[in-house]
Amino acid sequence: MNAATISFLFYTAVLVAIGVWSFRIVERVPIKKYEEEFYAAGRGLGGVVVALIIAGGLASAGTFIAGPGMTYAYGYSWVMLNNFQIFMNLLLLAPIGILVGIVARRVNAVTYLDLFKARYQSKTVILLLASLVTFFLIPYMATQFVGAARVISQMTGMGYLVSLAFGSLVVLVYCVLGGMRGTSLATLLQGIVITVGCILLFIGTVRSAGGFARSTEILAAQDASFLSPTKSGEFSPAFAFSIACMTGFFIVGMPHAMLGALTYKNTKALKRGIWMGGIFVLIWTLLLCLSGVVGRSIIPDLAVPDEIAPWLAMNVMPKALGGIVLAGIVAGIQTTVAAMAIIITSSIAKNVLQELRPGVPAATIKAASRWTMAACLGLAMGLAVSQPKLVQWIIFFSIGGLEAATFGPILLGFNWKRGNRYGALAAIACGMIVYALANTVVPQLRLWGTHPSFVAVAAAVIGFVAVSLLSPRPSESIVQTFWGKNPYLPLGRFSGRL
Amino acid sequence: MKQAEDPRIKVSSRALLVSWIFFFAYLAAVMAASYLLGIEPRLWGLPQWVTIGNILLPVVFVILLIIVVEKLIPDVSLTDDKPDQRGPE
Repeated sequence: MNAATISFLFYTAVLVAIGVWSFRIVERVPIKKYEEEFYAAGRGLGGVVVALIIAGGLASAGTFIAGPGMTYAYGYSWVMLNNFQIFMNLLLLAPIGILVGIVARRVNAVTYLDLFKARYQSKTVILLLASLVTFFLIPYMATQFVGAARVISQMTGMGYLVSLAFGSLVVLVYCVLGGMRGTSLATLLQGIVITVGCILLFIGTVRSAGGFARSTEILAAQDASFLSPTKSGEFSPAFAFSIACMTGFFIVGMPHAMLGALTYKNTKALKRGIWMGGIFVLIWTLLLCLSGVVGRSIIPDLAVPDEIAPWLAMNVMPKALGGIVLAGIVAGIQTTVAAMAIIITSSIAKNVLQELRPGVPAATIKAASRWTMAACLGLAMGLAVSQPKLVQWIIFFSIGGLEAATFGPILLGFNWKRGNRYGALAAIACGMIVYALANTVVPQLRLWGTHPSFVAVAAAVIGFVAVSLLSPRPSESIVQTFWGKNPYLPLGRFSGRL
Repeated sequence: MKQAEDPRIKVSSRALLVSWIFFFAYLAAVMAASYLLGIEPRLWGLPQWVTIGNILLPVVFVILLIIVVEKLIPDVSLTDDKPDQRGPE
């Protein structure tokens, strides 16, 4: 057993201990407070944890494996494209964070869909969103397991399936046992490990390459387009703008990132979550992406570009430090899986169950939460067994789909009083139809070479506004709950049929 | 009967506006630096557009973010039980 494996095993043992410890805390909570504790960690998280939950949730294998992989394959152009995600905490927490914080306390919302329930009072919207969130998040989660398994396999020499089981079971333990409490504590540890790992990898890579100047000379000799902002025309400014929209303006629609908005304790924590998130994501994204492209000057012929980060960790620094870097990469992936698992579980075990069986006892929701989480993680692990090769495109497909479905209902619904349930349904339908067409039979919908999510989100916004204006205003009780001084609309009472 | 709007909503709307303007400024600055500056001369051994557009500008904007968020988004109470604290604190 090498030093890298030992340091990784130590990190894993700490995560399991966190899961068991959180389980004891959650079990001591009275049953009627269980949902708030399991899904929102008692709504008392501070700025650092909120920053890490959102940043760690959004920065996935796409950042830690595919990010350096893309810069390895395409050069500095992809560093610019990845850098657009640096302000995702700002673009998620600032547009809706304060309103979500106020409304969540008013209606006792502990899950993502509780907020939609309060805003739209529509069973159809809830069931539709729960289905879409599950549909897009489970393959997304599977890609995370694939990334983690590849890293563990390279580090330890274990086979892919054993590595997959090892990397995913630990997430299963601390998520299922500890819920949001376990996830938040694990995320804090993981955030530190990720940050230290990225810094070590960057220093080791640049030193090994002989500095930036030497690396640039070698890259220019290999292919001058590695130094171009467009990869010599391969990535147009329009494509770059659509990626900036997807990882910037539209990010507010990402359900697993909403956990931070539901769990922060006050606006001081919210503001810290915003700017600390900027610092964390800057360090992770920039250092890993630069390592990827500089790494090409060290080893130019890797068959699988996504393997550059693990390769560098095992070859340009001492083994024990390499273990910390790889633990950081796996940690980054695990935080995403944990956040997704919480969102899917809350959607199904709480919201869908309550819609289909109103008045379901709290004890049933408690049991359903754990079983659903275990089932979802098991399903994602099952999908990961197939070892998909195009991980980055699956991630982009899932992100685009989630944003097409949720951007309109979230951003417009929470900031425009006139928006209503019909508008939300139209936005979901328009976004999904256009997204499906642009990805399949009508690729011409990708205007000016943009990503399909761009035109799908635009269609969703137009659908939301047009249909809301053509249909009745939302009830005064909804307006008061979201924007009024004198609220109160208990969850569960729907005034309409849709 | 229409009732008064919660004053905290103005803070929320302001936060939305601030965030979108901030990100748009970042996007414009990075794209301008990346597409207008050339590969030569090298800066710190890297193409000039990389050093300025991909390293310096993100760092500068993250520092700016701290100032913008702390100065332009006031603290508000999230609960309704203290009416005197509903507006900006």
